[in-house]
Amino acid sequence: MIQLSIDGREISVPEGTMVVDAAAKLGIEIPVYCYHQALGPLGACRICLVEIEKMPKLQTACTTAVREGMVVHTGGPAVEKGRQGILEFLLINHPLDCPVCDKGGECFLQDYSFWYGSGKNRFEESKIQRQKDYPVSDYILLDQERCVLCQRCIRFLGEYVGEEQLMLEGRGVHTVVSTVEGQPAHSPYAGNVIDLCPVGALLSEPYHFKARPWNIEREETVCSVCPVGCASLVTGRDGHPVRLEGRPQPDLDDYGFLCDHGRFTYDFVNHPARLEQAFLDGKPASASAAVAAVGERLARVVEKSGGGAVAVLTGAVHTVEEEWALAQFARESIGTSRLAVLKPVAGDLPLPLLGTYADLAAATGVLLLGADPYEAVPVMHLKLRAARRAHPVAVWGLGDRVLTRSTLPGEDFVAEPGQVAARLGVVLGGEALDGRWAELRRGLLETERLVVLWDGADPAAAALLAALAGQRGERPTAVLPTHGPRNWLGAVRAGISAEHAAAARILEDAAEGRLEALILLAADPLRDFPDGDLAARALERVPAVYFAGWFAPEPRHALSAMLPTAAWAEVTGTYANMEGRLQVAHGAAAAPGQARPVRSLVTALARAMGHPLRLPDFDPFQDQDGDRIARPAKQPAESAGAPARPALPPGEWRVLTGDMVAVSHPPSEIAERTREPLPLRLHPHDADELGLGAPGGLIEVAQGERRFVAGARRDARIPAGRVFIPRGLADVPANRLDHGAGVKIALADPVREEVAAP
Amino acid sequence: MSSARPDRHYLLRQRDVPDIHQLEVYRAHGGYEALKQALEANQPDQLVELAKASGLRGRGGAGFPTGMKWSFLPKDGRARVLVINADEGEPGTFKDRELIEGNPHQLIEGMIITCFAIRAPESYVYVRGEFLHGYERLTAAIREAEAAGILGAEVMGHPFAHRMFVYRGAGAYICGEETALLESLEGKRGNPRSKPPFPAVAGLYGRPTVVNNVETIMNLPPLVLKGADWYRQWGTEKSPGLKVMSVSGHVNRPGNYEVPLDWTLAELIEAAGGVRTGHQVKAVIPGGSSMPCMPASQLDTPIDYESLVEAGSMLGSGGCIVMDDSTCIVRAVARVVRFYRNESCGKCTPCREGTYWLTDIMDRLERGDGEMRDLDMLLDVSDNINGKAFCPLGDAAVGFLVSAIKHFRGEFQEHITGQRCPLGARQYDTAIH
Amino acid sequence: MSNQQWPAEWRAWAEEVQATFPNATSSLMPFLHRVRSQQGWLTPEALDAAAELLGMTRQHVDSVVSFYTLFRTEPTGARTIHVCRGLSCMMAGADTLMENLEHHLGIAEGQTTSDGAVTLLEAECLAACDLAPACQVNLVYRGPVAPDAFRELLEMPVEEPPALARRAEQSGAQGAKGVADRE
Ligand SMILES: Cc1cc2nc3c(=O)[nH]c(=O)nc-3n(C[C@H](O)[C@H](O)[C@H](O)COP(=O)(O)O)c2cc1C
Ligand code: SF4
Ligand code: FES
Repeated sequence: MIQLSIDGREISVPEGTMVVDAAAKLGIEIPVYCYHQALGPLGACRICLVEIEKMPKLQTACTTAVREGMVVHTGGPAVEKGRQGILEFLLINHPLDCPVCDKGGECFLQDYSFWYGSGKNRFEESKIQRQKDYPVSDYILLDQERCVLCQRCIRFLGEYVGEEQLMLEGRGVHTVVSTVEGQPAHSPYAGNVIDLCPVGALLSEPYHFKARPWNIEREETVCSVCPVGCASLVTGRDGHPVRLEGRPQPDLDDYGFLCDHGRFTYDFVNHPARLEQAFLDGKPASASAAVAAVGERLARVVEKSGGGAVAVLTGAVHTVEEEWALAQFARESIGTSRLAVLKPVAGDLPLPLLGTYADLAAATGVLLLGADPYEAVPVMHLKLRAARRAHPVAVWGLGDRVLTRSTLPGEDFVAEPGQVAARLGVVLGGEALDGRWAELRRGLLETERLVVLWDGADPAAAALLAALAGQRGERPTAVLPTHGPRNWLGAVRAGISAEHAAAARILEDAAEGRLEALILLAADPLRDFPDGDLAARALERVPAVYFAGWFAPEPRHALSAMLPTAAWAEVTGTYANMEGRLQVAHGAAAAPGQARPVRSLVTALARAMGHPLRLPDFDPFQDQDGDRIARPAKQPAESAGAPARPALPPGEWRVLTGDMVAVSHPPSEIAERTREPLPLRLHPHDADELGLGAPGGLIEVAQGERRFVAGARRDARIPAGRVFIPRGLADVPANRLDHGAGVKIALADPVREEVAAP
Repeated sequence: MSSARPDRHYLLRQRDVPDIHQLEVYRAHGGYEALKQALEANQPDQLVELAKASGLRGRGGAGFPTGMKWSFLPKDGRARVLVINADEGEPGTFKDRELIEGNPHQLIEGMIITCFAIRAPESYVYVRGEFLHGYERLTAAIREAEAAGILGAEVMGHPFAHRMFVYRGAGAYICGEETALLESLEGKRGNPRSKPPFPAVAGLYGRPTVVNNVETIMNLPPLVLKGADWYRQWGTEKSPGLKVMSVSGHVNRPGNYEVPLDWTLAELIEAAGGVRTGHQVKAVIPGGSSMPCMPASQLDTPIDYESLVEAGSMLGSGGCIVMDDSTCIVRAVARVVRFYRNESCGKCTPCREGTYWLTDIMDRLERGDGEMRDLDMLLDVSDNINGKAFCPLGDAAVGFLVSAIKHFRGEFQEHITGQRCPLGARQYDTAIH
Repeated sequence: MSNQQWPAEWRAWAEEVQATFPNATSSLMPFLHRVRSQQGWLTPEALDAAAELLGMTRQHVDSVVSFYTLFRTEPTGARTIHVCRGLSCMMAGADTLMENLEHHLGIAEGQTTSDGAVTLLEAECLAACDLAPACQVNLVYRGPVAPDAFRELLEMPVEEPPALARRAEQSGAQGAKGVADRE
């Protein structure tokens, strides 16, 4: 630790700390533009000048590391004149258009000018004219005249993300931030530069001119799109969310970076497909009539066949409080224990192994077990890169396709489809492993702190993960589940089983005629259940399906009733992210139409059933592990080693599947711009053989009589002879194709395509 | 008193020996003897001591003691690099161009000696992009040296292996700044780097690196042959030896002059043929346009590092620009300020924006559109740049301006009150040749 | 872009510069110099080729190119005249020299004659103040050039860019090669 004095106050901080951060620890704010903790020092803007005793010149607090006995003054005439001078320089070529700038009121240039500005304008010469409203991505407008060349945007995308898509162009006073002509930034992390820009140079196109700082509400929330649950701020205006921004959480070492799939999807709550109106038997109904009818019908079933004839599946996208209310309703009002989370994967995480983002930050080794974080849970990919910036981290990919990538290099181990867990078993068994596999084994067992990002697809992996943790003994092992649904751990907190078997049993019961009614809370079994055929049989057989939620599943005629519920940003409540951390999200918008919170919906249903439900106060945080959900203690390790399954017969196309948030995010008119148009993936050789153009085109996936058509892209990370189909894709339901054999791929025939279109 | 001018050239040897850029000629005149001697003695540390004892200081501008710079390299076993700064772009300085064009083998010899001293298996010369001829001469000389076994797996039979690279800049003054140079040499934009880490710790490709000027290193061969005492016969205690001074502007014989460091400015100007008849010296910038100017009254200042600092200027790179009484100082300042605006890398705010503003104000003054308060504003804006920029280019941009207002404030005022140049427009257009 | 057919010599140069410098990133500027001296300027194809053949992003290439004045991305004449505007050259009449050239050629500084023959550019101090007013024609020094003697800049023989390229190739940045061959 280094002891120093700042403005007469003593502080001791770790060696290597910059003066600016040491001051922040004392609550002393030193202005910065170019400096950002995530990016490290640059020293370009010079606004952070401070006086350090025994140094002849003013120093930049962002590039000066603390030294023992250093005496720093962050104010005084010299410092103030220095900063005033810098501000004056920054304003020379900066337009004075704060009144029409989206950033007005939220701008560091405006703020600091207010603090330090001399108020008078000595610059009489003409300002340099540059490009304005220059689209640097699908979502981002650049105003080069407002740019202060802090380089945060360039360094973030180039160094932090590893996707060099913005650049400095030119030299001296003619330097600008720009893109290569015709190559706008397309990184899924590009939107962060809007938050990073300290001035109004990089603006959100969807938010452009939408609001002024004084007519908005800005509430703390968490992103609702994937289980990472990034902390964010939602801006509401006139009852609608109009913007999502990252929200740094310094105590969690989180800089508040989002991915664009999350950042630009907030308008899903106002999407035309949103359920805003109740329907009964296919016809629009008033909310009260629909609720009364559903309540009565449920009461009749319960009376006749008992509560056990009704089952409830939740898609776990509502808040913990709402999931809890649903559970109370199921148990108390209906009297059923058939209640489960509908998960898109069949694997069940051993909860004692559930890790944290802090584990990831400290990891020395990371195993991507079936998971491709960049596509499934994008901000985890960033967190991994950040960990690597701090210290060396070994990365291994073990899946049915390549999981590392150029921005996250590592060693890949590709298993035959369906054999990912089997492969892990062989590795843990340790017998007769050849070179690379032996090294994987050594790495997994010997790395100091191991984190596994698991996609949950292969159920056999669960026991193996426990075994792996056991074999590693004292060395910590943590697992982060990358699969959805968004709030499945929140549903677990609410007392709902998230085990695959629980949901499977409900669907089997339904398929075999043992159920008389099925309640779906934002659940779409046909789309999301891993065994789509079972889901189809269940829905065909069960006499009544009642749906409540935001987007009704297809086919709608199969639903006896549809009841709209309030969505994210419309209620205040708690979510749990993939590390099991409970996060409070505040409402900033009004629920549209007849949509109402689940809590009030289930109490109304209960009343209609004639069993009024008293919902006591519920505190998701009570009796938990701080702000993380309580987890069972570690079980004794099971012994390792599952036998390798026999290889599948060659020749046929095999279907691989995985999560892709660009496909699975809710319908959004804004994010439609970047919804993956070519979601299927083929090895380039296969694509060539099919005659698929570059970068891709339409292909037909056929199995038996069924044919599906969708866009496919070349991707060398997919092994030859396989087709990758993301989960939940409406065009091609991966969960309804036989993953083993019998699938055929051809170039789409435009004539047949029309016939086959659903 | 000033030392006598040496009877021959030790750096600008092409003046005495035609075609010395050819290996054969260079060798016939004692070339590579120093290297041979150094290798035979086989005591690298002694060479560092020799550099220290001689008092040799860097000729690139900062005047840092060369032997001391070498001894800052961390002793951690990492492979070291020598980088030669041949990016010469400081207005008024043109010695390195003549040195590499005229006497490239002496640079190569000096580099190998230096690398032997600091145990560097590789060295690089960063040659200014515009120096096509110098680049070709140097490349050809390296090729000759390789063919003659002076460079390569063995150096003159000694197991010390050495590889030498030549790299061309592409038009950017800032790449003369050593960390910007390293960036450029790594194939990037020439934006200066943060120090620490200093190049000695993490320089080219992160390796421990010494950056020296062309002229600095060319002193090594004669030093090795003749010793520190010989070198100290010239100059002063703290600024010993000979320096190649580039003299330009209103002198009758502009050119490079290899002179002892205790000569005065007046003696130097005299050596360059004096100013045009009928004219008086008005101001002199002794060390390149980054340095403050000195009025005629200070011409007996010796050119050693200390005396010039005492007189309010600096020796810098030794680019001595002589302005006679026909010179419009406002126009000269406007021109120099514009240079820094054009050459600012743009990384930091004060340099990028400040030089732009200063240029605009100076243009206005020169046009006769200035106001009295502009003078204080110029000084204030200069003060807001000075010491606040990322690299020394910011300071360099205001050195001449501030000194000119100090010494010639009246002339600035006349531009304002008379709304025109008191010396008449475009008086420079009479070429002196 | 990866199926693009670059000229064989570009491929050869790329390989050569990559083999010359121990660190791959250092190969960019030598490569650009060769293409520049071949064509006089850097076409978009050349920038693409640099990025692809040297394994860099086009962003990096463009950003670097835009920093250096000798890397021009606009069509440039067969004869490029740089007139030094440094202080010493200005004192020796460089401004008039430039004006005379502009008048004679009918173009302003920074422009190229319509026949593509001459590009007229100003240079910051060319480190040739002893030759003030100093100029370069295709990087070959000329000076002192009295303001009314500007014609010599237009008449002095220059090697055409392709020849320049060949010369650079012969004497080019092969610093390490001789050594490497023997090692
Ligand atoms: C803006 C700027 C330009 C410089 N230009 C040069 C130059 O052209 N040549 C040079 O040798 N040093 C130049 N220097 C100084 C170098 O940074 C460095 O100090 C020098 O090369 C060290 O060599 P020396 O110790 O042998 O002098 C420049 C410095 C600055 C700040
Ligand atoms: S655009 Fe914004 S963040 Fe990027 S460099 Fe400019 S001011 Fe900085
Ligand atoms: S001023 Fe022109 S070469 Fe120096």
